[in-house]
Amino acid sequence: MAAEAGNGRALLAVDGVVKRFGGIQAVDGARFDVAAESVTALIGPNGAGKTTLFNLVTGFERPDRGSVRFDGEEIARQPAYAIARRGMVRTFQLTRALAAMPVLDNMMLAAPDQPGERLSNVLLRPGAVRAREREVREQADELLEVFGLREKSGDYAGTLSGGQRKLLELARALMARPRMLLLDEPMAGINPTLGRRLLDHIQRLRSEEGMTFLFVEHDMEVVMNHSDRVVVMAEGRVIAAGEPHEVRADQAVVDAYLGSAA
Amino acid sequence: MTDLLPLAVSFDAFTDVGFWFGVLVTAGIYTLVALGLQLNVGYTGIVNFGQAGFMAVGGYTMAILVLEAGFSFWLALPLAILATMAFGVLIGLPSLRLRADYFAIVTLAMAEVVRLTAQNAQGLTGGNKGLYCNFEGVNQTCFDEAWKSVAGPILDFVEGFWPEVDPLFPLLLVIWVTIGVAIVGLNYIQRTPWGRVLRAIREDEDAASALGKNTLLYKLQSLAISAMLGALSGFFLALFLTTIQPDDYEPIVTFYAFGVLVLGGLASYGGVAVGAILLWTLLEGMRFVELPITEERTAALRFALVGLVLILLMAFRPQGLFGKKEEMVLGR
Repeated sequence: MAAEAGNGRALLAVDGVVKRFGGIQAVDGARFDVAAESVTALIGPNGAGKTTLFNLVTGFERPDRGSVRFDGEEIARQPAYAIARRGMVRTFQLTRALAAMPVLDNMMLAAPDQPGERLSNVLLRPGAVRAREREVREQADELLEVFGLREKSGDYAGTLSGGQRKLLELARALMARPRMLLLDEPMAGINPTLGRRLLDHIQRLRSEEGMTFLFVEHDMEVVMNHSDRVVVMAEGRVIAAGEPHEVRADQAVVDAYLGSAA
Repeated sequence: MTDLLPLAVSFDAFTDVGFWFGVLVTAGIYTLVALGLQLNVGYTGIVNFGQAGFMAVGGYTMAILVLEAGFSFWLALPLAILATMAFGVLIGLPSLRLRADYFAIVTLAMAEVVRLTAQNAQGLTGGNKGLYCNFEGVNQTCFDEAWKSVAGPILDFVEGFWPEVDPLFPLLLVIWVTIGVAIVGLNYIQRTPWGRVLRAIREDEDAASALGKNTLLYKLQSLAISAMLGALSGFFLALFLTTIQPDDYEPIVTFYAFGVLVLGGLASYGGVAVGAILLWTLLEGMRFVELPITEERTAALRFALVGLVLILLMAFRPQGLFGKKEEMVLGR
């Protein structure tokens, strides 16, 4: 059930973003806000530009025009790693498990502020590196427990099933301690029981840690019951945005996407 | 040996100490070359075909500093290493942003540009004659004089209890001590969070960036360390051949090192050393197989045999001798 909406302040503000690939206008002036501490769903038919928009917002593509502001600062032309470090972390539609690395290494990799990721610290401050590794390992174990992957900790990530990889990717993104998480079809390929646990976890992170979520999803039951706000895209534009019940009643949305399903 | 046997193999060579000194020095040099490739290809996922270019930059810089600029050999070594690393960063800065296959082509071209420049910039590099000694009036200076002044006493000392020791002994010793230090060091940094980021880039660069890792920076570091190992192997090759000539840095050198990598297995530094010794024992040992064919054909057959060994390896142990099969299968 949709909890109370976010606190109103826009954490992410997308304005007039345009992206062309050759002759195709993938995103054509999209504009929307994501309120801090909200769970916002991004929906729309295939080819509406949802994934491209994700790429534009997270620095994996550069917009031709327009502005993307995260927490008030312009990030539209920053590289992906810099945006992730600011606290906006994404997952991918097709999972990107680091296959030939153990599950635990996948998790520990994502932790921020590891001095040991600099070669100079590896050589000069091995104590600080080890101490941080211990902390990170504890956090990783806790999260793996939550996501039911604790027993898989030592296995190569490539040996996990599709659904488990999806969970690993989400858990790994959480290891980065983001303020905002962008999930590209988090429910696809996950069994309903696990999906429910995942949704519960998202709600808990939002209410307990004030985390903000933006997710692309095709399952309307999930969208309508688990998001505070819904943004609807079609043909590269945002055609509607509002609370789930408002969007469901919007004629343009029904015509473009929901059709008879709603 | 005898006319009755169509194929006679003399194993005398394998009991000859001199044979092994030659093999181990060559294998040692190739181990250092291939350790850099292992870091790049096996652990970072960047395909570097330009290692011979880094060897040449290292070797030439050292010799030019000593012969033309009058630097001491011991100062020229670290300076040449730094110059080679800077060169690696310079090459990597534009090209590491490219896709892996384009980067491979850029590095191959870079190595050839270095070699052809060395061939033609005669005033600095001696062109095809290469660099060894300079004559100024009656004084002759050679780039390896300082090394000889160290190697001589080592050899004298060892001859005290091993009279028929090969003159290559000091070089062999220094090369393999360097390899030992390099393998221990590389294994150490590979197990740190820094090494974990490299492996993540090998697996999926986008995933690593999505988690806040500046992947270009890590790839540059990987390339710079590899360039350093290239420079070191360039020094040792120069000391071994006692000359620096463009022909010694042809792309085939890099390809042999890739052969070493495949034999030893991806993502194993120790495997590289074993792979190099095996490859060069095979290549050099084949010289002593007597066949009823001309010498040129025997020489060509050596490479055919190496090819056969690599094919068999791919068929029966695709991960190489020390590679991890899981990492190879899952990585793709």
